[in-house]
Amino acid sequence: MALQTKVTRNSGARLFLQSVIGRAYPRVIGTQRDLSWLFFDIFLPFLTMVGYVYIYRALKAPEEYIGFVVLGSAMTAYWINILWSMSSQLYWEKETGNLALYVMSPTSLMAILFGMASGGLFSTTIRALVILVVGNLLFQVSYTITSFWALFLVFVLTMVALYGMGMMLSSLFLLFNREAWHSANLLQAPVMLFSGFYFPVSAFNFWVAAAASIVPLTLGMDAIRQLVFPSTALLGFLSVKLELIILAILSVLFLAAAFLTLRRMERLAIKHGKITDRLD
Amino acid sequence: MFAVETEALGRIYKVKKTRKEAAHTLVALDNVNLSVNHGELFGLLGPNGAGKTTLIKVLTTLLAPSSGFARVNGLDVARQPEEIRRQINMVSGGETSGYGLLTVRENLWMFTQFYGIPSRQANARIMELLKIVGLEDRANTKSSNLSTGLRQKMNIVRGFMTDPTVLFLDEPTLGLDVGAARDVRRFVRQWVDDDPTRTLLLTTHYMVEAEEMCDRVAIINQGKILACDTPQNLKQSLRSEGVYSLQVSALDEKDFEELKGIAGFRQGTLRQVESGAELELVLSDDSVLAGLLGFLTAKGSRITTLHKREASLEDVFISLVGKSMKDVENGAAD
Amino acid sequence: MSSAETTPNSEAKPGSLLTFRTSAWLGWMIESNWTDPFIFAIYSIIRPISTAAILIVMYLVIRGGDFGSADFVNLYIGNAFFILVGAAIQGVSFGILDDREHYRTLKYIYIAPLQVPVYLIGRSVASILVACFSVLITLGFGIIFLKMPIALAEVKWGLFAAAFVLGMAVMICLGLMLGSWTLIIKNNAWSLGESLGAGLLIFSGAVFPLSVLPVPLQWVGSALPISYWLTLIRRALVPEIGRAYPMYTNLSDLQLILILLGFTLVYAILAALIYKRFDYIARERGNIDMVSNY
Repeated sequence: MALQTKVTRNSGARLFLQSVIGRAYPRVIGTQRDLSWLFFDIFLPFLTMVGYVYIYRALKAPEEYIGFVVLGSAMTAYWINILWSMSSQLYWEKETGNLALYVMSPTSLMAILFGMASGGLFSTTIRALVILVVGNLLFQVSYTITSFWALFLVFVLTMVALYGMGMMLSSLFLLFNREAWHSANLLQAPVMLFSGFYFPVSAFNFWVAAAASIVPLTLGMDAIRQLVFPSTALLGFLSVKLELIILAILSVLFLAAAFLTLRRMERLAIKHGKITDRLD
Repeated sequence: MFAVETEALGRIYKVKKTRKEAAHTLVALDNVNLSVNHGELFGLLGPNGAGKTTLIKVLTTLLAPSSGFARVNGLDVARQPEEIRRQINMVSGGETSGYGLLTVRENLWMFTQFYGIPSRQANARIMELLKIVGLEDRANTKSSNLSTGLRQKMNIVRGFMTDPTVLFLDEPTLGLDVGAARDVRRFVRQWVDDDPTRTLLLTTHYMVEAEEMCDRVAIINQGKILACDTPQNLKQSLRSEGVYSLQVSALDEKDFEELKGIAGFRQGTLRQVESGAELELVLSDDSVLAGLLGFLTAKGSRITTLHKREASLEDVFISLVGKSMKDVENGAAD
Repeated sequence: MSSAETTPNSEAKPGSLLTFRTSAWLGWMIESNWTDPFIFAIYSIIRPISTAAILIVMYLVIRGGDFGSADFVNLYIGNAFFILVGAAIQGVSFGILDDREHYRTLKYIYIAPLQVPVYLIGRSVASILVACFSVLITLGFGIIFLKMPIALAEVKWGLFAAAFVLGMAVMICLGLMLGSWTLIIKNNAWSLGESLGAGLLIFSGAVFPLSVLPVPLQWVGSALPISYWLTLIRRALVPEIGRAYPMYTNLSDLQLILILLGFTLVYAILAALIYKRFDYIARERGNIDMVSNY
């Protein structure tokens, strides 16, 4: 019973790309085969957004703040995706035994995480867009985009830096068991607070806002707010130009950190037997 | 160069302090020395908790050794894991890997991508293997809808489809019915025989699997290798001794302990059954039997059945450890 | 020991109290044993404070620092106690998911001779207890650091006890109703409790009076027990300020208690019926022992 089909193996960049596509596949297919995400990942977060809008309405806030909530709620989708579908995802992969198979294969964990991120980006972006579009229509938010290219660049750099941070967090969580889930739970609200998802981060003093800027969404949202609500530019933390530069630096730093910490943490996890244990 | 080689390999786990236990260390592997030749189907036989899975994890670069060395195709598991990963694969019994939402074919295709296999070749290889294991008609079934046995077949395909030169199977027939287990064993044996560059290391606690399939078997208990040879040679090591199965009307533990003191008694196990007690004994030679039977009669124990049989690997294990595998597992559970 | 002493009575089944106690103990062991007590305490403090802080900053940005105002006190108390809503739903749904997907024991619970809803409710007790701790921490933070005018001497303890007990009963029923939906969902169910809880925020009157909403949404809010419960809690904790909150001002405390009692009875019946329905569907689809993840 000799096997008739012959197989060859790619390596290097081709292997990386194949792995990214391979790992993204379940995420993309999942959005088509299991439509419950439409309810959990779009409808319910949309209701949360509506809640915060009405809080501002009850407080008689200026209408721009409604726009801040809609924008912040859309960006929340990416933060939630980073926390739950990336950072703590390796914990779930360990549970099912997939992590051991990934580590044991010739591909890198970075490719696997890129694949997860890419696959998750699809549904996350739909969520963000629905919240943005329907929120804007429902609450009649008006935007004035002062520079489309600046806006595009801010968004792209924010995403690159954010997902780089997500990969770095994933590597740290490689050593955790149940703590990974609780850590993600712990990070969720404080980041939403200090990154200014629902209000300008300049509400905090300079040093708090500066510290919060380590999370790419802080500066990303601040820049986006200044670019689409020019009347609120005074509420901005730093100038858009400076925020773009910092985001570019963060992108490089987080990607490099992710690469280094993934390798290091993988070695540590192998040393301490964390790749396969399911102990709590 | 060996396909798999270990030298004084050790692995210790540090167990953290809990409310009920102080911190302590657990020796999972202790001075393990093994060498597996290319083209060999090598078995690792031992009870649950013996260290088989730990050894597999070290060899598949999932767990670092605490001491000593391990090499796969001449590559060090601690220093050259990336090179090793290009040449190996592993299948564990009871695996739940993959994603329930994907079909069998999709799950398998996904794993081929992590090995850099072009999609066209991957799909052709997958279908060929699915046909061999009898899963062809389930290629488009979601893996969450598969039974345990069919899922394990899918796992086995996953292990073979990447053409590893060294394949590790950790209890691969766990959870399979008799027919499916037999098919898997036949397939595994044939896979090794078809290509002399392929090597397979199999762990099991089923004697019959080790005896039927393996070119050589290492017996492991409590992290130590107790013996390593062909199944035939291991059994022949007991040939000068007599292996007997007896059924008696009654024999309690106290009398059994006394029986062990009879000259020529090597090893034995006692099991209480409804109709009395069953003994599996290894005696230095046939002449010991007379004295033994006399002892039983003196104790008022009537012999119901007695037969001499060929030594099995279970007997080899008993002769090395002093207990059956089941007793070792039960003892560990206590 | 003779076999008579060790042979279990095959006809015996655990009473509801034993089931509840055992599952509550189990839930607590799981909820609390993932780290040492110190870190667990820190975790239990940081989470609720940071959620409350989002509202505090929102208020600060718009209204300045007047944390003694009636508006802020009512918002703060409503938000603090709303934690229990999410916890009750999350407790049941997470118990199902954890046992099914992580520990793989749900099938064994199902075939044991116990009342599964009682088991699930017991399992959620730990989550609710941690939430109670979070509520206390949140209130404490507000009193100590924001100088909110909540005086223990002015609290109507009888009303608070009655409202709290009834409220927890109705939340648990709500938790069972919504949580039992988890029996038939794969994947996204992990966030059911928190997501649904966050979704219910709009209709709860927790952080703004229902009158802020468009009229149809106000009706939805009035059809849910949460707004009545929170109104009672406010009136019990801060009688004067609570009474001034523009929700159900035409209803007395007793009337609110009776409404809440009515809701509890209706929700208890609904919970039993809905659980039974989802239980049937889950068994029909073979979902009790499914493992899903992508």
